[in-house]
Amino acid sequence: MYRELGALLRREFLRWWRTPVWILSSLLVPVLYLILFGQGFGQGLGQCPPQLGLSCFLGAPNYFSFFSVGMVGFVALTMSLFSGANIIFDKGLGIIKRQVATPAPRATLFLSPLIFRSLMALMPAFLVLGLAVLLAHIPGFVGLTITSNPGLLGAVEILAAVLVLSLMFNALFLSFGFALDNPQSYFGVVNLLNLPILFLSNALYPPTSEPGWLMSIAAYNPVSLCINVLRLDLFGAGAYYTYPAAVYLGGLFAWAALFVGVALVVGRRALRTP
Amino acid sequence: MLFGAVPAPRSPPLSEFAISVQRLTKVYGEPPKAVQALDDISFDVRPGEAFGLLGPNGAGKTTTISILTTLVRPTHGQAIVDGLDVTREAEEVRRRIGLAFQVSTADGELTGRENLEVAAGLEGMARSESRRRVQQLLEDMQLLPYADRPVKTYSGGMRRRLELAVGVVHSPKILFLDEPTLGLDPQGRAGFWEFIRRLRKDTGVTLLLSTHYLEEADQLCERIAIVDHGRIVAIGTPAELKARIGGDTVVVRPTQGQELTALLSAIPGVQGVTALDGQFRAKCARGEAMVPPIVTACAKAGIELESVEIRKPSLDEVFLELTGRAYREEEGDAASFFAERMGQMHGGGNR
Repeated sequence: MYRELGALLRREFLRWWRTPVWILSSLLVPVLYLILFGQGFGQGLGQCPPQLGLSCFLGAPNYFSFFSVGMVGFVALTMSLFSGANIIFDKGLGIIKRQVATPAPRATLFLSPLIFRSLMALMPAFLVLGLAVLLAHIPGFVGLTITSNPGLLGAVEILAAVLVLSLMFNALFLSFGFALDNPQSYFGVVNLLNLPILFLSNALYPPTSEPGWLMSIAAYNPVSLCINVLRLDLFGAGAYYTYPAAVYLGGLFAWAALFVGVALVVGRRALRTP
Repeated sequence: MLFGAVPAPRSPPLSEFAISVQRLTKVYGEPPKAVQALDDISFDVRPGEAFGLLGPNGAGKTTTISILTTLVRPTHGQAIVDGLDVTREAEEVRRRIGLAFQVSTADGELTGRENLEVAAGLEGMARSESRRRVQQLLEDMQLLPYADRPVKTYSGGMRRRLELAVGVVHSPKILFLDEPTLGLDPQGRAGFWEFIRRLRKDTGVTLLLSTHYLEEADQLCERIAIVDHGRIVAIGTPAELKARIGGDTVVVRPTQGQELTALLSAIPGVQGVTALDGQFRAKCARGEAMVPPIVTACAKAGIELESVEIRKPSLDEVFLELTGRAYREEEGDAASFFAERMGQMHGGGNR
């Protein structure tokens, strides 16, 4: 099991490493968001009116701080969008057929992209955080101000939240990769899901500015759950949230367990001997 | 080990055969759209033997190999590979067999060496063991100079050799080759046969190969099953199959497409005449002796001939004799279309 998984993870790594355009673009897209979108809206929306305290940005000292932490969830989502596309190409190229013909346990065939892609998403996600903090020190730019020391437990919670969110989305999109046979339908589905997942979350704007029904959907969105953990740990703003970070993290684990389960079932069905 | 470790009692080893196929049938899809790919085929392959499935595209060769390599389930019938049932003991079968697919399954972004190392890992080989084995295989397949280049830069022949190396990376007892030289030019094909001959000599591996090239089956296989429309129409050594024709054939084509059956049948020495596509095929013991009387008889009857040809017994003739159709070595099929296109996308193609 471990040798087989190791071999497949190595393949994933080599494919990634040999594709500098892929690496660069996955790092540049979030950076551009921070600079183009973040600077524009960050300077424009600025701070809460004094009478509202920090409530309008859920405890974040300003809009950019609120938004840049939200970007971490957004990055985890965008990094996973293409994971299923590779499965479709691997199926078309006969690579999956070759893997199925070996004695390697079938589970390793979808665990390898799941594990690799989820770990890969950590890099741009934390690049975004680091860069956002750095921007605060560059004159003329707005940046992320961390107002609470997360401590070791907080840091672990942040890492776990991003990893689990990434695991969940990769499982979701890998399922579509296994279930669908052509790239067109895959990208259609991705396009369809991408928008509501992002906009029905608290990543870009506080849910208080939405109608009630949208707010309740956004509250259960895994992207929101992940970002809640991050904002609670980085801004220490417990007053603006219903639950402590551990509860949101628990919810996130539940989502991930559900979708990894679905991926296992869909993958097993797709790899079944006809 | 009191529980679970006792093997379930099985009927005594079904065979001393490496492969034993009994009344195998495969139907794809459900009626009314069902397609019968295999219709009750049976054959055995002895250990160390090279056995060929010869037939045109769509005859059921790939389906047979897919069932024997556990990639497709049979609808009816039984297939035993190395003493194991391919449906009930699929995982153990996969450990013991090697397989080279019709279209290269290598990852174009990875080098030949990396592809082989991944394949070795998927067979559960340790890294140290696989490194040595991969180096040896690259050398054997004359791929060493290209070992560290991405496979997308490989020629068609190099890809076929790499596919063969992937198939034998774990030193399987039984090797399946599905159309191993599809898409190669005749020279590349003959070169590839040498690799297979050497592999057999060095390892004694049992070989089951499918091909639609008559010459390939003739050159590589000790026994051949001729497959057509999902059935085995004949089985035997190439010599036995050719002997079934029982002599030469003189093929006569009149310019005006006249009917010659009666005329040719009346010539002493002609054992039988069949008509096909405006040609008349006269069977006889020795073609050379029959050409003069045939030409004379036609001239006397005032029939102008476009061509007269002597055909020695060959697998073409065997196929025609058994199926009533001429053999055509068509290239490509719908199933490999996507894969080939994708191969070109990766910068490869047939070179």
